[in-house]
Amino acid sequence: MALDFAFLLDFRWVLLKGLWTTLQFVTLALVIGLVWGFVLSLFRTSSNWVIYSLSTIYVEFFRGTPVLIQLFWIFFCLPLFLDVNLSDFTSVVIALSLYSGAITSESFRAALKSIESSQHDACIALGLPPTVRTLFVILPQAVLRAIPNLLSNVVSLFKESALVSAVGMADLMYVGQNIANNVARPVEILTAVALIYFAIGFPLTRAVSFVEARLLKVVKA
Amino acid sequence: MNYDFSWFHVERAFPTLLEGLWVTLELTLWANIIGLVLGFIVAIGMMSKIKVITWPLTLYIEFFRCTPALIQLVWFFFCVPILFNVWWSAQFMGLLALGLNLAAFNSEAYRAAIQAIPESHTDASTALGLNGLQRIFFVILPQALLLAMPVLITNGIGIFQQSALVALISVEDLMYQGRYLSSQTFRPIETLTLVALMYFAVSFPVSLTVTYLERRTKRLLAT
Repeated sequence: MALDFAFLLDFRWVLLKGLWTTLQFVTLALVIGLVWGFVLSLFRTSSNWVIYSLSTIYVEFFRGTPVLIQLFWIFFCLPLFLDVNLSDFTSVVIALSLYSGAITSESFRAALKSIESSQHDACIALGLPPTVRTLFVILPQAVLRAIPNLLSNVVSLFKESALVSAVGMADLMYVGQNIANNVARPVEILTAVALIYFAIGFPLTRAVSFVEARLLKVVKA
Repeated sequence: MNYDFSWFHVERAFPTLLEGLWVTLELTLWANIIGLVLGFIVAIGMMSKIKVITWPLTLYIEFFRCTPALIQLVWFFFCVPILFNVWWSAQFMGLLALGLNLAAFNSEAYRAAIQAIPESHTDASTALGLNGLQRIFFVILPQALLLAMPVLITNGIGIFQQSALVALISVEDLMYQGRYLSSQTFRPIETLTLVALMYFAVSFPVSLTVTYLERRTKRLLAT
C-alpha cells in the first residue's frame, strides 16, 4: 500500500497536546515518587520491624505486578474502597506515583547500602555526631550514587506512562490510536507516535549513560 | 469504607483466570526463548567491527529500549499485517513484539557482562596459547553468562509483567480475563485484587531467586 505521511501535519497540534499530557503525568509522578521513594527507603532501613515489613511488602508488590493492573486497580477499586470520587487525572497520577515511589526507593536503598562501612567508622573516629554523619557524609555520597538509577527510572516511567491510554486518558498513545482508528491509516500515525516517543526516550537514555560514566570517574577519584 | 465483599463470582470464574494465567505463562516462556537466543546473537553481532552490521543492530536495540512496550505491541498488531501482508493471530503478534523487546534488553545484558570480564583473562589465555575460539568459548563466555544470568532473569520476569499489555490487543491472557470478569460481574475489587495477587505469586519467588543467585555469582567470581 502507498504510505502518505503528509496528512500527519494536520494532526500535529493534537499529537503535541497528547505529548504534553504525557509529560505532565510523568513529571508529577516523578516528583511525588522521588519524595515518597526517599521516605520509603528510610522505612526499609528502619529497625522497627512493622515499618520495615510493611514498606517491604509495598515495594515488592508494586515491583512484582504489572503496572497495568496497578493502574486498573487504582482507577476502579480505590474509589470504591475509600468511598470518594477521584477524577481520572488524580487516579492516574496516584497510580504512577505509587509505582514510581516503589522503584525510586530501591535506587536510594541500593545507594545507601553501597556506602562502605569504613565511612561510618571514619566518622566515629573523627567524633562526628550521628546527624552530621548522616547529612554531610552519607547522604551526599548516597544521592550521588543514586543519580544514574534515578535517571533510568525517569526513562522507564516515561515509557510506562503510555499505559494510561488504557484507562482513557488522552496522552500521546491514546491520541495516536484514536487518530489511527479515525483515518484508518495506522501505519503512518503509529510510526509517527513511536518516533515521537523515541525522540524523547533516546536522548534521555543517552543522558543516563553519559551521567553514569561521569559519576563513575567522580566516585572513583 | 462500606463495601460488601462477594467472592462468589470470582470463585466460579477461577478456572477462566487460570486459563488466562496459562496464556500469560506461555507468552512469557516463548518471549524468553526468543529473547535469550536472539539477544545473544545480537550481542555477538554488536561486537563486530563492520559498521554495516552494528548500525542496524544499534538502531534496533535503541528503538526497542527507548519506546514504550505498548506502542511496540500496537504497532505490530496494526502495522505488520498492512506492511507485510501477513495475517497472524493477535497472540503471535504480541509474542513477536514481546520477544523482540526482550531480545533488545537481553543483548545489552550480554554485552555488559562480556565487557565486565577483565582484560587480564584475555592476556592469560594468550599466554597459555589458547586460540581465539578456545578463549571465547572456554574462558570469556562461561564467566560472562554467569555474570549476565541475574540480569537475564530479571528481564525475563519483567517481560512476564509487560505481557499484561497484550490484553489491550485482545489476547486472552490473565489481565484480559480479569478485566472481562470485573466488568461482567461488577466486582472490580475482588477480581482485580485476585489477578494482581496471581501476578505477584509468580514474579515474587523469581525475584527472590535472582537476589540469591546474585549473591552466589558474586561469591563464585570473587574466588
